[in-house]
This record gives sequence, C-alpha cells and structure tokens, in this order.
Amino acid sequence: MSFKAIDYRRFTLLAVLIAFVVSYVAQINFDAWLRYSPSKLSGVSYNVFIEPQPLSGPVAKAVSFGATEFMADYYWLTLIQYYGGGTPNGQYRKLAELFNVVTDLSPKFEQAYQSGLIILPGEGFPDAAIALGEKGQRNLPNSWEMPYYTGLVYHIYKKDYLDAAKQFQIAADKPGAPPITKLFVGIYYKAADQRQVAYEIFRTVYETTTDSYVKDRAGKYMAHLELMSFLEDAAKKYQAKFGHYPTSPQELVAGGIVREIPTDPLNIKLQIDTKTGAVSEVKG
Amino acid sequence: MLKVVKAIALNTFRETIRDRLLYSLVGFAVLVIAASLLAGSVSLGQDARVIQDFSLTAMLVFLLIITYFIGTQLVFREIERKTIYLVLSKPVSRETFYLGKFLGLCLTILVAGLAMAVMFLAVLSLKTHQVPTAAYFAVGAIILEAWLLTAVSLLFSAFTSPLSSAIYTFGVTLIGHSSATIWLLSQRSHSVLKSILEGVYYLFPNLEKFNLRNDVVFNLHPGLTQVTTILLYFAGYTVFLLLLGLAAFRRDEF
Repeated sequence: MSFKAIDYRRFTLLAVLIAFVVSYVAQINFDAWLRYSPSKLSGVSYNVFIEPQPLSGPVAKAVSFGATEFMADYYWLTLIQYYGGGTPNGQYRKLAELFNVVTDLSPKFEQAYQSGLIILPGEGFPDAAIALGEKGQRNLPNSWEMPYYTGLVYHIYKKDYLDAAKQFQIAADKPGAPPITKLFVGIYYKAADQRQVAYEIFRTVYETTTDSYVKDRAGKYMAHLELMSFLEDAAKKYQAKFGHYPTSPQELVAGGIVREIPTDPLNIKLQIDTKTGAVSEVKG
Repeated sequence: MLKVVKAIALNTFRETIRDRLLYSLVGFAVLVIAASLLAGSVSLGQDARVIQDFSLTAMLVFLLIITYFIGTQLVFREIERKTIYLVLSKPVSRETFYLGKFLGLCLTILVAGLAMAVMFLAVLSLKTHQVPTAAYFAVGAIILEAWLLTAVSLLFSAFTSPLSSAIYTFGVTLIGHSSATIWLLSQRSHSVLKSILEGVYYLFPNLEKFNLRNDVVFNLHPGLTQVTTILLYFAGYTVFLLLLGLAAFRRDEF
C-alpha cells in the first residue's frame, strides 16, 4: 500500500468524522431554534416538528424486519422523551398513538400498558386508556393489573362505577391479585347502586379471604348494606303508618317504627329520600 | 480433502481476522452494546429490556455487515489478486477451496459473535445481576443466521461483483425477515400475485426462524423441537446454498 493511499484513507476518515460532528451540532441547534423561537419567527407551529410521527402498528411491524421488540423500545424511548419534554399546545396529541404502536410491536410489554393506563386518562384520553386496557387484557390474559388499572380509569375519569366493578371482578379472579381487589368489586357495585350484587360479593369475600384486614372491612361493608336495607324497610313501614316518608332516620325512632338507629360500622351518614323512601349515603 | 479444507479455512480465518474492517466493526458493535446502558437508563425502569433488545439487534446488524463486506470479497479478492491460480494449481479442487472459504469466514463470524456476546452478557449481568437462558439461545441463533447469510453472500460473489453481491445479500436478509408479511400478503392476494408471493416465501430463507431475540425479554427459551427445527433448517438451507454456489463457482472462468 502506498503512502498516498494511507493518507487518503486517513483524510476520508477524518472528513467523515468532522461531517458527522458538524451535522450533529447543526441538527441540535436547529431543533433548539424550532423549539424555543416564537412561532412567528420560525413560521410554523413547532409542535408539528417536535411531535413524534409514529407509524401504524402493522407498518411498524413490517419495517422492523423481525426486530419488533427493538422497534418497540425505540418508540418507548420516544414516548418517554415526548412526555418528559412538555407540551406547549396543551395536549399530547400523539400519546395514545405511541402507546398503541409500542404495544402493537410488543403485545406483552406490561409496563407500557400500565403506564398508558396511568398517564393517558390524566392527559385527557380516558377512552384511549380504556381501549389500551382492553388490549392489555387480550394480550396478557393472566395479568390482574390490566383489568384493575382499567377499573380505576372507569372510576376516576368516567365515574362509571358499574364498569369499574366489572373490571375489578375480572381482576379479582386473576392469579396474584391482591385480596383487597375482591373488596373493591363490592365497593364499586355498591357505588353503582347494585346493592344486592355488592352484598353477595362482600359476603363471598368475608367467607373466603384469609386476609384479616380484608375480612374485617368486608364484614363492615356487609353490616353497612344490611343497615341500609333495614332503614329502607323501616321507611316503608313509616310511610304505611303516616302516609309519607320520614325526612331523616331519626324520625323512624320518633315515629315508633324502630327503637334506635344502629351505628353505621363505616361511620357513613345515611339519608332517606322523602319521595321514594330510598336510603343513600350522604356525599361529602 | 478434510485436511485441505481445514488449511484453507484457517488461512481464510487468519486473513479475515487481520482485516481492519473487522476490528472496527467489532469495536463499534461493542461500543453500541455499551451505549445500550445509556439508553436503558432513560427507559423508566426498563434497563434490562433495552439492553437486551439493543445489544442483540446490534450483534445481528454488525455480524451481517461483516458477512456483507468481508464475505462478498473473499473469493473476488483471490481472483483479483490472481492468488486463486496458485491455490488451484495445487491438488486443491474448487469445491475444497469454496468450502474452506466458507468455513473460514464462519469461524471469523463465530469469534466476532462471541466477542460481542461476551460484552453483551457482561453489560447485562453488570446491570441486572442475571442473564436469562433465552439470551444464550438468541446469541446462538444470530450466529447461525449470519452463517447462513455467509453462504448466500458466497453464492452471489461466485457470479457477481462484491458490491452487487452485498446488495443482493442485503435484499435476501430483508426478504428473509419479512416472511410473515409476505405470507400475509400472499394470503390476501389472488391468482398470479399469490403464486409469486408464495414462491418468494418458500424460495427465500425464512430468517425469522432464527429470530429468538424477541423472546429474550420475556425469558421464553425455545423447546427441543424448536431448536431441532432451527438446526435442521439451517443445515438443509446452508447445504442447498453451498451446492448452488459450488455449481456457479465450478462454471466460473477466471
């Protein structure tokens, strides 16, 4: 090999290195300019630039050429950077898409589902979170976390206690689910005004659990529901006697229907609907 | 014959192992594997996952680059430098020469692969204090895939230039890893296109058979049946490629 040839190779290597460094520095400066300059200056909505543009699941799979987990990791890191980078336009528009592509590429990536179920509803995408949770349940049928987290979304963001109860019921039957999950099923059915179902669930929990705390709480919930039924029966008797429903539980004592109002084991104040006689918890 | 094959293989190994390109590729792969530590640290507790996926993908990519750039030049260089006349003037058949070249490069790939694997396993155990059994299977499958593609690159280099050969081998790699997509497309197509796609699916190597990388994260190691299938598929397809390559090499006029 001649001397000139060696020099040429060294020069090429050096040129490639310099070009790489220069393009890298130029790129990060350009990104920073787009990010921090006013939109009037750059002439574009910068969110278009920093927003990731994930491929659809099937396309991402096809172009990963078998490296689906690697591609899922790439989108996972993109998602973290995107979410950690802040959102100037008020909404992470691509968040749900990113969670979807990650879980399309890696259907058993449990942490991705869990993060999605925690993050998405808080960012204004409760429906996307529920869809992700359902996808997680299909792909990870043994995970109690998937229905559990989905149930939380139904509860906190949709105020849909019946669906929350159904999700917790699914979670409670999965291996490894914390014993308290069964308790939540009853609580949500109770919140959804499905008192009979809730009572049966609390009873099963009370009879089967080995966790002393859960047993104690289940017992108290049963007593609480029994008290509500007891007061409703008494209100019906009051209505038959006086022609109208009582305005408070204490009127049942004054009217001679019951001798005393038992103490609620959960210390929840109860009220009677003067039109229907239905007993409910005083909120707040 | 075996003695001659061994001599050519060892000579090819010595030749390729001295190639500076190999050093830089292995060095770069080792760097990428080490860099996966960095990517893992910003993955919200998914360090093990990221290290495994990044490292195994890097291993495959760099071993394939070695195959493309060194494998395709092996025979070509001998012809270009006219050293092949020296070899073939001795009692060395073309078959022996071709087989020796293949085995020599396989040995190089094995050494490079093991060097990368040692780095990968060291990084993984350093970070997570455990190495899933599935990782060893994945590493083995990567090396097998690189060996099979070495046979592909030798086949192409028997009748075309190194650059074309590298491009064709790269094409075979992409097709081989798209087997599931090709099959899906063929099932959704009709008549001629369906037959063409099915033909491509069966004719080209199904490299997804060697893809155990996606299972490492979940530590799902293959069963005996799967391992046997992979080995038989590798052996069958490689022998087929070598026979085809030999047929082309026998007809070559230097």
